[in-house]
Amino acid sequence: MSVNVATTGVARRHSAGDAGERGRRERFRDGRWREATANQLFLVPVAAVFVVLFAIPLGRSIYYSFTDFDGYSNEKNFVGLRNYGRIFSDSAMSAGLSFTLLFAVGTTLLVTMIAIPLAVVLDQKFFGRNVVRAVFFFPAIPSIALLGLVWTFILSPLASGVLNSTLDALFGVGPVPWLSDSTLARASTIFVGVWAQAGWHAILYLAYLQSIPGDYYEAATIDGASSRQQFFRITLPLLMPAMTVSQLLLLTGGLKVFDLPFTLTGGGPGYSTHTITQAIIQGGLAQGRFGEGSALAVVFMLVVLAVILGQLAVARRLERRVL
Amino acid sequence: MRHRKHGSLVTSVVMIALACVVGLPFYYIVVNTLKTQEQAASSPLAPPSELYLDNFSTVFDSVPVLDSFANTVYVTALSVVLMLLIGSMAAYAIIMRRSRFNRWFSVLLLLAFMVPFQTTLLPLYEMMADVQLIDSLNGLVVLYSAGSIFCYFLIQGYMKTVPHEIIEAARIDGCGPFGIYWRIVLPLIRPILVTVGVFQVMWVWNDFITPNVFITSPEKATLVLQVYSAVGQFSVDWPAFMTLSVVVLIPMVIFFLTMQRHIVKGLVSGSVKS
Repeated sequence: MSVNVATTGVARRHSAGDAGERGRRERFRDGRWREATANQLFLVPVAAVFVVLFAIPLGRSIYYSFTDFDGYSNEKNFVGLRNYGRIFSDSAMSAGLSFTLLFAVGTTLLVTMIAIPLAVVLDQKFFGRNVVRAVFFFPAIPSIALLGLVWTFILSPLASGVLNSTLDALFGVGPVPWLSDSTLARASTIFVGVWAQAGWHAILYLAYLQSIPGDYYEAATIDGASSRQQFFRITLPLLMPAMTVSQLLLLTGGLKVFDLPFTLTGGGPGYSTHTITQAIIQGGLAQGRFGEGSALAVVFMLVVLAVILGQLAVARRLERRVL
Repeated sequence: MRHRKHGSLVTSVVMIALACVVGLPFYYIVVNTLKTQEQAASSPLAPPSELYLDNFSTVFDSVPVLDSFANTVYVTALSVVLMLLIGSMAAYAIIMRRSRFNRWFSVLLLLAFMVPFQTTLLPLYEMMADVQLIDSLNGLVVLYSAGSIFCYFLIQGYMKTVPHEIIEAARIDGCGPFGIYWRIVLPLIRPILVTVGVFQVMWVWNDFITPNVFITSPEKATLVLQVYSAVGQFSVDWPAFMTLSVVVLIPMVIFFLTMQRHIVKGLVSGSVKS
């Protein structure tokens, strides 16, 4: 369809070709203008997406965060910063903030510490390498929500849970409350998060590793550098760009986490694995506290933006120092 | 370190053992699809003793798996096509005319890309309710079209590599902007469309938060949401739940096996961008 529109435009421009010099120049400018307009029209869909799905809801979120709107009534009263103060006194919201930060930082550190050595090993030649790579990468393929549900059965605190019954058969220990003790539930959630992401990030590092020229290692070997020295002096510095990318994805993904804790523990026991997202959904939608939910949403956006900008600044500085 | 050969046997043994541990949960759900409840409870990790297929019939009888599958295919296909179309059109417009307005617009899109879904979630719910798009598959498609901004950034990076001479030649031959976009640019950027498309398919197919918030009736559930709703139903019948998980996993596994190359390529290009 779009092709037809274009060709008729062209045909019209050509049919009026035998006019005077002045008219031709005008029409030329007219054609340029029409082409520019047509080009600009290509922005209309994305502009609609931007306005409807980003600008308007973001504006409303900020507006609601200063009101006592409940999501249904027409009455909205300006309440100043009250909602922002309540975020920290509301137990669900403050618990959501603290566990989300713990999860984001915990998974980022652990995944990085596992993925880099894993990538170095997966870069070497050994029997079964491709299968091993695929197995490590595989948990990134299915929905993390689905994996969370599967892990609830594995980590079930009952004596019949898979892990508990296996531990009992092997070592004769009683049931461990993997998901029903708050500290263990937090640790289990982070563990499953690391399990699901480490292989994916290892493959990311692997892609960067493979772009390091082999000559560097040859030269270093000739100069008598040990493999330990080679790792810390060549591999790690050259992986800096990959670390920036990987940690940015891990941190922002960790802050936005919802699926895994929600399907694994439901946010419990108590609020011990409650996340910011769950607090926004439950506080805002389910309990009709749009004002407070929006305040949390705005604070959350500022945290995410600060993390992105901060991480980029740190990474830039580090890269400059190393390279 | 990459030149040592004598250590490769040790590496091999250690890595295969580790891979077994990492893959254990998948082994566990697959073997349990073939067991009765008693067998699954008494020896969860043992291989099945016989070919017991009742779990599959239980799952297909009690959960509308095929309906959810159709819903998921519908939402995924429609929203990914829409995203690629909107994203590539935006990239085309901004690359063809480097005006000040377009540069600023690109920066605005980058800012929008950094706004988390959680921040716009409550107003979006309210807006979708206003236009009757709650509990609607088309409503999901509308929400997922927000992913076109991500598509825009990846496609725009690739589109810059399209030689300007080709576009210029087409213009001289009388091809208008729409013709150039549809017949010249789109075919030339097909590799990036595939890569981005694969990534977005995985996102939409696997997404849980959007259907969980915006879909309420079971017959409109996507696969992941359907599994979530079935947890209560199968809280005692673990093998049936594992069977459902495996059934839901199969399409993604097939997708992974056929698209593996593109997934890894997309992982690199996608991350290089951000």
